[in-house]
Amino acid sequence: MAPPKGGYAPSLGKFLDTLKSRPVNASVESLISLLKRRQINGSEACAIATAHILLQVVAKDKWSDVNELLGRIQLVGKKLVASQPRELVIANIVRRVLGLIRDEASEDRNDNPSDSSPDHRDPMNSPLPPAASEASSPTRPVRPPGALAQLGSFARTQSMFNLLSDPDFTSPPWSNASTPGATPGIASGASTPLAHGQTTDVHAFRSEVIDGIEEIMDEIKQVDEQVQAISEIIIHPGDYILVHQPSRTVQKFLTRAASKRKFTVFLVVDPSTTSAADDAYAPFRKSMASSGSIVVTVMNVGLMAYMSKANKVILGARAITAKGGVIVDAGAAAIARAARAQGRAVVILGGVYKISSENKFQQEELIEWGDPSKYVNFADGAMVSQVKVKSAVSEFIPGGDIDTYITNLGAHTRDHLHTILTDHYKEEDMSFDIYGKGQR
Amino acid sequence: MSTAPNGPPREAAAPQAAAPQAAAPQAGAPQKTDQPEVTQAQTSSKSDAKPKDEKAESSASAKLSGAEIKARAKAEKAARRAQVKASKDGAKGEAAVSSSPTPLGPSASEAKGNKAKGKQDGAAASGATAAGRIATSKGPVPAVITEPKVTIPECFSHLPMAKRIPITQADKDVHPTVLALGQQMATFAIDESIIRLKATLLAFKKVIESYNTPPGNTLARHLTPHVLNPQIDYLTACRPMCFSMGNAIRWLKLQVSKIDPDVPDQEAKKELCVSIDNFIQERISVADLVIAEKATDMIKDGDTILVFGRSNIVERALLHAHCDAGKKFAVTIVDDPYERKGQVLAKKLAAEGIKVTYSGDFGGLRWHAQRATKVLLGAESMFHNGAMYGKSGSCDLAIAAKELGLYIIVLCETINITERVATDSLTYNEIDPERSSAASFRLLYDTTPSAYLSVVVTELGSVQPTSVPDLLRKLEESN
Repeated sequence: MAPPKGGYAPSLGKFLDTLKSRPVNASVESLISLLKRRQINGSEACAIATAHILLQVVAKDKWSDVNELLGRIQLVGKKLVASQPRELVIANIVRRVLGLIRDEASEDRNDNPSDSSPDHRDPMNSPLPPAASEASSPTRPVRPPGALAQLGSFARTQSMFNLLSDPDFTSPPWSNASTPGATPGIASGASTPLAHGQTTDVHAFRSEVIDGIEEIMDEIKQVDEQVQAISEIIIHPGDYILVHQPSRTVQKFLTRAASKRKFTVFLVVDPSTTSAADDAYAPFRKSMASSGSIVVTVMNVGLMAYMSKANKVILGARAITAKGGVIVDAGAAAIARAARAQGRAVVILGGVYKISSENKFQQEELIEWGDPSKYVNFADGAMVSQVKVKSAVSEFIPGGDIDTYITNLGAHTRDHLHTILTDHYKEEDMSFDIYGKGQR
Repeated sequence: MSTAPNGPPREAAAPQAAAPQAAAPQAGAPQKTDQPEVTQAQTSSKSDAKPKDEKAESSASAKLSGAEIKARAKAEKAARRAQVKASKDGAKGEAAVSSSPTPLGPSASEAKGNKAKGKQDGAAASGATAAGRIATSKGPVPAVITEPKVTIPECFSHLPMAKRIPITQADKDVHPTVLALGQQMATFAIDESIIRLKATLLAFKKVIESYNTPPGNTLARHLTPHVLNPQIDYLTACRPMCFSMGNAIRWLKLQVSKIDPDVPDQEAKKELCVSIDNFIQERISVADLVIAEKATDMIKDGDTILVFGRSNIVERALLHAHCDAGKKFAVTIVDDPYERKGQVLAKKLAAEGIKVTYSGDFGGLRWHAQRATKVLLGAESMFHNGAMYGKSGSCDLAIAAKELGLYIIVLCETINITERVATDSLTYNEIDPERSSAASFRLLYDTTPSAYLSVVVTELGSVQPTSVPDLLRKLEESN
């Protein structure tokens, strides 16, 4: 999927490298074009890229109060979403960041209720020093040191103090270690406003938000590990597991299970890459074989023939909607349908960040149509001139076809998804019409 | 067609499928050319048999390239298999051969006489040496090297698979026309059930025409076990027999057994050939025509017809509805990306002015189904419980269509109906030899339960899928 490493084709890695050296707006525009050209592709890459760009916006942009920052994030978010509307995770990350900012802001208000924040901050927040615009560390793109440097030691200790005094405030519930039940909105008015007598400045606030965004990034990175942990519960010895173009998450899930027990995997590959597909899954096949499990590469598109044999179907989600529908790689919907017809369980894997509050989509709107030359050569004049060729890239599985969702927080049923949503998103962000025409 | 990875060989041979008679001499030609080699090998094997040959082979192997060694190893393996088979058949055929030195009569070429003789002094040995020879001297058939080792997963090991048998290793009683046909079947040049059936019947007609009852035998008793059976065994070895072939062969054997021993040979043969012609006419040609017409009646103006891949009968029905009946409709073709035969259909339909939408795989299947009004499926066979045996993927398409309440029409000639029952796709199926290797696996067919089908259109009438057994009864009554 991803363009080859090295080479000149832009990719997520290259984009992240350029972040530090460019002004924020240029980075945003560059990301938009990368998304439009699908050069950053796949939900995880899109989520990471979005988180990074929002971090840049928070760290480098000029903003003087919370509302301004929210507005800025919303604007950038709308642009990003418009550039790749089928990738719901972009909107998810934007909303997560918005919710994070709101949380931090309300926490601040609690800290010093006397001086209602925005007006107070205004004067303090002089335009950002140019130092802020330079360089996060090249390898792990953590908080830009510029921003850190700006924090007085005082501010830092204060945030540390917060961290110690009331963990609910600073470790947001979506941080990986938290339990699903952790209450998110607790910040609002939960603690008695103790007048610290210290003026929280924008820099401290900024660093809190940056910390929060980094936690989101960490969460995205740790999804695979945490999802893996459940694999032994799902997969039993001797099972026949059917997977469709497994993502890294699914592959790791299976290899973990294979380390404990032996089972058979029916691996359905992308038909357009009959020979190259072998390479893509070679490491996976090797690690499965080394632990004694069998991988059978299935070269069929209709999988009903295998359903009488298969025990479970495991699919990686591109995104999960609030009602339980799942966006998947094209071809997987037919598999899920066949599984349901045969009464086989369909298990969806994906991080919590893939669960979207978006509800207004019709099923067919979520199909992404792609390159028709996948199967039909452009040189084939008879086809090109007379036949309408459609080729889907991703499609939608209705929630009714799915039994279980496994996220980094554990296994969920469809009815449970909305609780996760309310845990992770603010009401006002969920209702924010991110798909509306952004005023550019 | 450059997009299709395996397209060219199959596509190229497709026209032949329509006219097997034309194809037969073609394939017969290479057989003749390599005949001298075979005889040579046999004569040498007659005197000093195996040891010397083995020596020769081992000395030759030193000079061979890796690919050749591979080809040879394969040929030898196949030869061993043939040996086992031949020794089995040998016992059966001995009596016949001893009583008639040239069992196939004067019309058969000299080569066949040779072959028969070779058999008497050990068909097995000559078969093996001939194979070795051909392999080393780039014979026409073994040059095609298929995957040397095919490992089929344990859970599918009960399913049959077509395999390419070098012509030289076929039973010596196999008629050249049948030899060619077997190759075409093994390479999927002739693929669809009904076309394989037609080709088989035409080939058997040739076999019967070239047959002479040996003295002391009657045609009714001799033809089936000594002439027809080897042909059938060979064809089955090349590719697992489809249900229609099974049905037709049963019919043919019945016809042979019915022949009065007093009828002269020529007359009996003529009679058989005429009844084969009638059978093809009745059960295939006219049946297709009737089905196409009935399907046309079901297509209304403004319909969008969803089809899967390319099926001969579906193509006929669509063209008939458009060209002859002047119906105005659109067609959506969902294809199997591994076969891509739907593209052929797409071009044909588009050339006739039908509006065609093409999807290379099952991505967005529901979207396509939502825009369709009816589904036309061509069946490979119908089971007694109303389930449809069709190209792999038919079932998934039918499920998606049924979910949306579409009318799913199955087109099937009655000759394809079998008395067997299948409840899942792994009861009867076939493994694709081309795409099944150590690393991959592919099933060719699947079984669609009757619940996902609306109507079965046959030449005897359109019925509910579960009423398929009634059609069979109707057939029995009419016979």
